[in-house]
Amino acid sequence: MQTNFSPDQLRDPELAESNTILRTCVHCGFCTATCPTFVLLGDELDSPRGRIYLIKDMLESGGPATEPVVRHVDRCLSCLSCMTTCPSGVHYMHLVDHARTHIENTYRRPLPERVLRSVLALVLPRPWLMRLALLGAGVARPFRSLLPGKGMMAQRLRALLALAPRRLPPPSAAQSPQVHRAEGKRRGRVALLTGCAQQVLAPEINEATIRLLTRLGIEVVIPRGMGCCGALTHHMGKHEPAMAAARANLAAWSAEAEGEGLDAVIINTSGCGTTVKDYGFMFRAEPEPWRGRAERISALAMDVSEYLSRIGYAPTRPAPALTVAYHAACSLQHGQKITVEPKALLRRAGFTVVEPAEGHLCCGSAGTYNMMQPAIATRLRERKLANLAARRPDLVAAGNIGCITQLSGGDFPLVHTIELLDWMAGGPAPASLGPLLAARAA
Amino acid sequence: MIALPEPKAEVLARRDDIVAGLRALLPADAVIAEPERLRPYETDGLTAYRQIPLAVALPSTTDEVAAVMAFCHREGVRVVPRGAGTSLSGGALPLADAIVIGLMRLNRILSVDYADRVAVVQAGVTNIGITQRVQEEGFFYAPDPSSQLACMIGGNVNMNSGGAHCLKYGVTANNLLGLRIVTVEGEIVEIGGAHLDAAGYDWLGLLTGSEGQLAIVTEVTVRILRSPEGARAMLAGFRANEVAGACVDAIISSGIIPVALEFMDRPAIHACEAFAHAGYPLDAEALLIIEVEGSVEEQDRLLGQIRTICERFDPVSLRVAQTAEESAAIWKGRKGAFGAVGRISPDYLCMDGTIPTSRLPEVLGRIGAMSREYGLQVANIFHAGDGNLHPLIMFDANDPASMHKAECFGADILKLCVEVGGCLTGEHGVGVEKRDLMDVQFTPTELDQQRRIKSAFDPGWLLNPHKVFPLAAAAA
Amino acid sequence: MSVLAPESEAELAASIRSAWEAGEPLAIQGNGSKGAMLRPVQAARTLSTRALSGISLYAPNELILEAGAGTPLATVEAAVAAAGQQIIAEPPDLSALLGASSVQTIGGVVAANLSGPRRVAAGAMRDHLLGIRAVNGTGEVIRSGGRVLKNVTGLDLCKLLAGSHGTLGVLSAVTIKVLPAAESAGTLVLGGLDPARAVAALSAALGSPYGVSGAAFLPAAAAARVPALAGLGASATLVRIEEFAVSVAYRTARLRDDLARFGRADLLDDPASRAVWRAVRDVVPLAGGSGETVWRVSVRPSSGPAVLEAAEAAGGCGMLDWGGGLVWITAPTAAAEAVMAGARAAGGTWMLMRAPETLRAVLPVVPPEPPALARLTRAVKAAFDPKGILNPGRVFAGV
Ligand SMILES: Cc1cc2nc3c(=O)[nH]c(=O)nc-3n(C[C@H](O)[C@H](O)[C@H](O)COP(=O)(O)OP(=O)(O)OC[C@H]3O[C@@H](n4cnc5c(N)ncnc54)[C@H](O)[C@@H]3O)c2cc1C
Ligand SMILES: Cc1cc2nc3c(=O)[nH]c(=O)nc-3n(C[C@H](O)[C@H](O)[C@H](O)COP(=O)(O)OP(=O)(O)OC[C@H]3O[C@@H](n4cnc5c(N)ncnc54)[C@H](O)[C@@H]3O)c2cc1C
Ligand code: SF4
Ligand code: SF4
Repeated sequence: MQTNFSPDQLRDPELAESNTILRTCVHCGFCTATCPTFVLLGDELDSPRGRIYLIKDMLESGGPATEPVVRHVDRCLSCLSCMTTCPSGVHYMHLVDHARTHIENTYRRPLPERVLRSVLALVLPRPWLMRLALLGAGVARPFRSLLPGKGMMAQRLRALLALAPRRLPPPSAAQSPQVHRAEGKRRGRVALLTGCAQQVLAPEINEATIRLLTRLGIEVVIPRGMGCCGALTHHMGKHEPAMAAARANLAAWSAEAEGEGLDAVIINTSGCGTTVKDYGFMFRAEPEPWRGRAERISALAMDVSEYLSRIGYAPTRPAPALTVAYHAACSLQHGQKITVEPKALLRRAGFTVVEPAEGHLCCGSAGTYNMMQPAIATRLRERKLANLAARRPDLVAAGNIGCITQLSGGDFPLVHTIELLDWMAGGPAPASLGPLLAARAA
Repeated sequence: MIALPEPKAEVLARRDDIVAGLRALLPADAVIAEPERLRPYETDGLTAYRQIPLAVALPSTTDEVAAVMAFCHREGVRVVPRGAGTSLSGGALPLADAIVIGLMRLNRILSVDYADRVAVVQAGVTNIGITQRVQEEGFFYAPDPSSQLACMIGGNVNMNSGGAHCLKYGVTANNLLGLRIVTVEGEIVEIGGAHLDAAGYDWLGLLTGSEGQLAIVTEVTVRILRSPEGARAMLAGFRANEVAGACVDAIISSGIIPVALEFMDRPAIHACEAFAHAGYPLDAEALLIIEVEGSVEEQDRLLGQIRTICERFDPVSLRVAQTAEESAAIWKGRKGAFGAVGRISPDYLCMDGTIPTSRLPEVLGRIGAMSREYGLQVANIFHAGDGNLHPLIMFDANDPASMHKAECFGADILKLCVEVGGCLTGEHGVGVEKRDLMDVQFTPTELDQQRRIKSAFDPGWLLNPHKVFPLAAAAA
Repeated sequence: MSVLAPESEAELAASIRSAWEAGEPLAIQGNGSKGAMLRPVQAARTLSTRALSGISLYAPNELILEAGAGTPLATVEAAVAAAGQQIIAEPPDLSALLGASSVQTIGGVVAANLSGPRRVAAGAMRDHLLGIRAVNGTGEVIRSGGRVLKNVTGLDLCKLLAGSHGTLGVLSAVTIKVLPAAESAGTLVLGGLDPARAVAALSAALGSPYGVSGAAFLPAAAAARVPALAGLGASATLVRIEEFAVSVAYRTARLRDDLARFGRADLLDDPASRAVWRAVRDVVPLAGGSGETVWRVSVRPSSGPAVLEAAEAAGGCGMLDWGGGLVWITAPTAAAEAVMAGARAAGGTWMLMRAPETLRAVLPVVPPEPPALARLTRAVKAAFDPKGILNPGRVFAGV
């Protein structure tokens, strides 16, 4: 597609990169049909091709972002379905990241929105703050319907409270910095990203991961100094906090990799996985040692399902006759292009695996999206739940905490894929399956 | 570059009133009028042409479409209908003094009847959306343009779109039973129904392929077909384009009509392989994708016969897909072919002429010569079975000289198609792109006849103006 | 009545031009086999295309054939058969049914968009019409389409003129797509079903993956008039496969299993199949009946039985083709209202194929169009034939 940047503009490496991406787009429109927001809203402006055009216009003009552009870019889930679809190989993710940074730097949002975004950016990446906030939300939750107003802000606050879990699990000791020794002969050594929100909301996911890997002979390191991957702030266009978070992780993992050595950096929250795999790109213009470290860590980063497929997984107990609907998290299927491994592992574990119609469409979770765009997120959630229900599953498995939170409260329990794999290989049954298994037994 | 007349100042002056009028008819989010938000609507799949519309209306029902049309008719405002905006001929190109009616919110499948094998869908349902809806019952909607993921049935009807499998199953026109249209005056009219061959004039046939010139389509009744027992694709690589062309001729002459028979040359093979990883032979100059249907034994027998024919042409490689996934990858590559060319060139112009199949080798040779003359690369991807060529001329839109050359090259190819007994467009439509070439194919008398039909439907020429008919003539 | 039979397209154009100048209506015919159908045309002179005869281009490997409009259909059929090919839409010869005797022309078949049993699977005559040359009502020669298999250049006048019964222009030449003829045919016959069960069986067959190319139902009386089916002594539900011989064997076997719930199907071999489907195509079972009128009703297949019943209740008889969607009816004059009401109730359409002239002049021979369409009909007619000299009143009074 034709672009209109001045030679001066093109000397800026960020703009030059975006120009390259824009020129790859041939405006064929294939991506529109698989974009969740276009499917719901039926407006070119809420499609990838439309957003690419809006971003092109904004970047070419060089001026500050304006409200219409911000509105439509904000509605993007960053689900990256468009990248799976695009035959031209347009790197929408890097383009929209650039646009978000430009918006953050040049556009002044209304005050309440600024406050909300700052609070989320402050709280979510910090587990201890998040615990505190959720305890407070737990108190406020019963009163959410009393929140006045139909405006976006009131909707958002209600959504926030609705998402807060009823009961908060106690903190888990397994997630604090330490080395979990391999059982038997050590076959490998990995670092585990314990995540930020996930360790507060669902510590059982990390616990299952650690149990299963150590049982398979893998030493699992939880390095000191590791924290949020940076995705939450990155997607808000908050460049510096995102880089700081990434740097902390790079330092922690590189110390391990350069010390006792690492076979992989394991990620069981696929949203984070996409970002860690992109560190190499994020640090492409940074001075050494960061650039080199980022490249090496991105190359080591692996989703837990990818890693398990590589080292081999086998169940050790007969599977109960359960039909598992596999919900493909966008960050796995689109962000990391991991589509076959999780299903193959679940089948290997002995489950009957089914997939919903419109599997490519996002469930609406998308990081902080369900808090920032509750109306769209709710419609996507309902659509996803209906598609899942149509397959009549006993339970739903997903590889991402965001999706699990978003889809909870439907007619079936949700678990992380790794919990099921651990269960069939000697671990405990996932707690959330309690009622289902009790009903089965009766 | 094809000229568009100056917008009517008189209409532009009434812009605010027109927008207010639309706002009174439609919900708030269904009228777009801010300049920034109009910009992404300025073009379709042919980005060489761009014009920012007066406003965009996004109705959600036939009644809303009718209300907007009645309003525009009363106010003398021109209208450009738009589906998914994937037209490769600039069919959905907006005009500065016209509003765009986007049909993408009419995206519901209204009914499916398996016993009578029909589905009623709104105009904004995607082509593949119909198949996705009925495939669990073993049915499909046959016309499969490569853009089927995105393009909408209303657009398909208006372009009479074809696809790789139309060699066996026909194009859009052959798979329709009924339409619900809104006339330029804003009247809702039903055409045909769930039965075959309506009495009276063939409105269905006339409206199909009419490129938004005659009416707005809001609902479509399509035939759905039961899928065959199975299908398998085969890849045959050859040493030269001409050899592959001769092989196509030999297959058709043998009395075997494959369900699909597609051609790609070397640049196309490489671009598509990079996207789809389908195992296309990278050492071949030309590739045929040949698909057959039926039971496994029937497929084996037909593929065996086709293989024997191919072997007479000294193929570089012959490979039959062994699994459904392999077949799917082969088609993913072919259907993503135009986009995949975006990997090797920033821009392309896609030609769409059709020629008698016996002239394939000669025409490919002459296109190659033109390519050297113009100094622009071409990737050839086309429906070989029916002679519908898609030479993709690669150029750089940021370089005006390159763009001009590409346009001249394209026009030369189309003239060549007509010269050998073919036509300007096999499935992408005339749009704005081929408008000024119409008199290469038609006499003034013939164009006048077509224009009188247009006038019968749209006396004020408000629908999708400045397209299809050469301007001087259209003014008449 | 004098008959003009121009020998070239230029002569044809000149004849029409002078008629236009004189404002003198013309009855258009190929070979004049149309005495009994649609509305009577009031014209002093008749223009025939029978002298525009001959195949001008036949390229079997390009699947196309071009012929003068006056070329006898039989000539075209023989030429393509010699190359192992066929006209896809399987146009019928309705002479027995309609009591006409002359040889039909390819132009007439196209102008009436007549298709046979294969239409349900492979499309109508208009679907395989690639190009036309025609003369409009002012004597101008116009072409549309061409000689290539795919063409969307400009408005599709081919389809508009196909089925326009000579009211928009007189065809001088047509180009059609042809295809290799199947090596063999086989037919499954289910005996004794009632119309509703029969259509359910036909729907199941057409909804199977075996590529059924004919699906018809003959009530007992009609079946009795087809030699190969007479032995049944009951209604016949017919399902045809046309394929390579091995595939015919395989597919009919699979279909027979799929249709087992409708009874045990007999298999007709290739020659018997051909004979039976020729009879269905030409509506032979209804020919020579006592009915004064012949109707052709097109509805959604599942409504076919109801239309048939309505006609039978009014004293008519009939048969179903196209999986139930095409209902052929012969009936006494008095049944006209019942037939039309049946078609209307099913949301379908009818065409009066044969009736006494007095009746044809007063009945709607096809369903009247809603006002918006009627307006378009008049406007499009005027766009081709401003003085209304071509077959005036043939389909609609005053058009
Ligand atoms: C990569 C690529 C591959 C393609 N491959 C094929 C192919 O294989 N075969 C093929 O035939 N085409 C192909 N096309 C062209 C294009 O996809 C088709 O022409 C398609 O039918 C357009 O549909 P649309 O919904 O995008 O319509 P648009 O592009 O939005 O509109 C097409 C035309 O129809 C009119 N229109 C649209 N909707 C309506 C309506 N409801 N009522 C009245 N008028 C309307 C518009 O005014 C315009 O003139 C391809 C395009 C691309 C980009
Ligand atoms: C419903 C219906 C039923 C018919 N039944 C029979 C039948 O049983 N037997 C039979 O022999 N014919 C029948 N006809 C006529 C039908 O045309 C024939 O099947 C065949 O087409 C006759 O060929 P013809 O050359 O005699 O055409 P005609 O019967 O002379 O003409 C058929 C129609 O096409 C028009 N027409 C003919 N040639 C041209 C042309 N070159 N350009 C433009 N218009 C033209 C005529 O004006 C007429 O309206 C029927 C037609 C219709 C519409
Ligand atoms: S990332 Fe998802 S929501 Fe955003 S444009 Fe792409 S497909 Fe649409
Ligand atoms: S699919 Fe890719 S090339 Fe096509 S419009 Fe979308 S981003 Fe651009």
